[in-house]
Amino acid sequence: MSEAVQPSPVGNKPALALARPFGPEDEAALREALKRCSPSTFEAAVQYRKTGNPDHVPAVVIGVIERFVEPDLKTKLKEADDDLRLIEDLGIDSLTMMEIVILVEDILSLTINNDELRNLRTIGDVKTFIDCKIRGLPLPKPTKFLPIEHIGAVMPIQPPFLFLNEASVSSTGANGKYKISGQEFFLQGHFKDNPVMPASIMLEALGQLAVLYLLEGAPVEAGKMISPSMIFFTGCEGVRAHRVCKPGDILTLSIKPKRMKMPLATFEGAIRVGQEKAVIAEEITLTFGIVEQPVAPVPVREAVAAPAAPASSGPVNPPLHAAMNA
Amino acid sequence: MPRVFITGLGFITSIGNDAATVAANLRAMRHGFELYPPFQKPDVPCKVVGTVKGFFTDSADQEDWTWPARYSLKRELIRSMAPHGLFAHCAMLQAIADARLAEGDISHERTGLYAASGGSPFLLHHHTDRMRKLGVMRCSPLGIVSSIVGTLNFNLTAAFKILGASGGFSSACASTAHAIGYAYDDITLGRQDRMFIVGGEDGNSDAILPFAGMRTLSLQTDPNLASRPFDAARDGFVGTGGGAVLVLESEAEVQRRGVTPYAELLGWGQASDGHNVAISHPEGAGSRRAILNALKASGVAPDEVDYVNAHATSTLIGDISEVRALRAVFPSARSRPGVSSTKSLTGHGLSLAGAMETGFSVLAMREGFTPGSAHITRVDPECEGVHLLRETLPNPPTTVLKNSSGFGGANVALLLRRC
Repeated sequence: MSEAVQPSPVGNKPALALARPFGPEDEAALREALKRCSPSTFEAAVQYRKTGNPDHVPAVVIGVIERFVEPDLKTKLKEADDDLRLIEDLGIDSLTMMEIVILVEDILSLTINNDELRNLRTIGDVKTFIDCKIRGLPLPKPTKFLPIEHIGAVMPIQPPFLFLNEASVSSTGANGKYKISGQEFFLQGHFKDNPVMPASIMLEALGQLAVLYLLEGAPVEAGKMISPSMIFFTGCEGVRAHRVCKPGDILTLSIKPKRMKMPLATFEGAIRVGQEKAVIAEEITLTFGIVEQPVAPVPVREAVAAPAAPASSGPVNPPLHAAMNA
Repeated sequence: MPRVFITGLGFITSIGNDAATVAANLRAMRHGFELYPPFQKPDVPCKVVGTVKGFFTDSADQEDWTWPARYSLKRELIRSMAPHGLFAHCAMLQAIADARLAEGDISHERTGLYAASGGSPFLLHHHTDRMRKLGVMRCSPLGIVSSIVGTLNFNLTAAFKILGASGGFSSACASTAHAIGYAYDDITLGRQDRMFIVGGEDGNSDAILPFAGMRTLSLQTDPNLASRPFDAARDGFVGTGGGAVLVLESEAEVQRRGVTPYAELLGWGQASDGHNVAISHPEGAGSRRAILNALKASGVAPDEVDYVNAHATSTLIGDISEVRALRAVFPSARSRPGVSSTKSLTGHGLSLAGAMETGFSVLAMREGFTPGSAHITRVDPECEGVHLLRETLPNPPTTVLKNSSGFGGANVALLLRRC
């Protein structure tokens, strides 16, 4: 701190911050806050604070996350795609997540609520989330992770013809997994003494993931929904099989919507086994129908059982599972 | 009743960061005092501290800290620690190695951990300040667990995956003596087979200087004179920090593992002054009863005790209270135990003191000497009737009494026997 007090010609009132430009003290504070981040992170933060251009934000956010990741896991972040998971892949626990949030809040001058954080599972989620915050856009629907029970409950397709074990759905696409068990009924004849997953069934599995996306991820007008009984296959383009898939293989499926215009939705899709390409579909098109959302029955309040309860308690957001042992 | 033994020690102290260095300095009566740089300002009246060497913890950001290269500690581990959490963690690693404990012995339902410290006023202040300046939601998520009283047990219980009893004690300068006492009970009652006792203090400005307001700190500017319990010219205590760990084990565990213990913990006693919040009873009434309770509980006669590691902190009132208690318990001039205060070398470690000095006492038993009380040039005439050891004795004590007293007039006495 400089000890010399600069006399101000207009009295000693501080010049009030009217959207104060980014000054040298701000830069010094930013440098201090980001002292353990890469120089490029600092540079991106300075650029963002000077210009307000949201294009600089992803570099800042990734730089901050990188600073909190254990050294041996940092390489993962470098080669990462947006599907990299914060907890499972990067070992970031909820307390570290809070440290990341506080630092991001500090350097980007924004406020993040606890309940907004709960849905951030992947690097992509974080990037999209911060981007929406900064541009003032509505937040995207969070990525939903659907176990087999949930998939079975919403899908019109059921075993033994359901080829998804688990899936995650966001507004931008869906990912799923299916393990070829060897017990699939059609493998008895496809082929004789040589069970191979039919390419047509793999295409079917991608189609099923697209159905799941329509039911769980596709944006629909409020009060409306896509009817599970009105989704059908219409066509596909550019389908190529690259690899023979056999019992024991785990198929990693992904689809992304390319176009959606009532009543048609077109997706691109891919299946991998590990790092190996198995099937590519340039276009899979489904037809769908929209219906009114059934009015959910209003649950009867337990007013009789709890007369002493406050008359109207608003929804309570459970706290983040951070300092739960407090 | 099951017998209880001390089988492992760990030290980060002003007189050494391992048992060998501590033993050498105790024997040679080399103190750990320095003119503490943050105190060398005109508005700070006291100047000397028993400093912890080899560590840098003067930053509220744990990632700025440094520690001896023999410890490899991750960010994830230290981010929730106070400075004394770091000291105690290192001491814990030493004690585990010293007791030759396997991982399964440490993280076991029959192994517990009791700890005590004064918390970290330094970090507490930092986090509260940040909250006031930047807003409630910008508080560090680990601000609480790194700074409040209990931070030691939170951190170490988690870091070492303790499955048995865990908790802390807050009787100020008697805290870790209480911890040893209750750990003894847990083992003799069959609740636990093994207990870690952990003491720690930051020993920095925020931990020590508030005592200046009570006029209990020495204002001496000469590190060789500042801490001199029982001396006529003593003028208060010298603060210190660090970490100390003891491993207590049941006799069955000692036999099963085939280790040689430092000493047996024979028993303990406690009693309170019922007198004043901060001033010890002028006749040492609580301390006297605590010692008598310990002797009775341990089945030890007063004339069996041959060394007392005193609480004596070098304050005017406190030292005399303890002297009077000792005179009352050991009236016979023929069988008076030798008395010394190792605080004359380390300074007063507050919550750390009980564990650290019990550790010193059993270390001296194993190393074969009896620690002397340093820096006495003229014995306070009030100390007559007590056999003060002004030099190191070349032979170890057999039965040791360790006294500890804390605010509120809490007094604890521990009895130890050489194995």
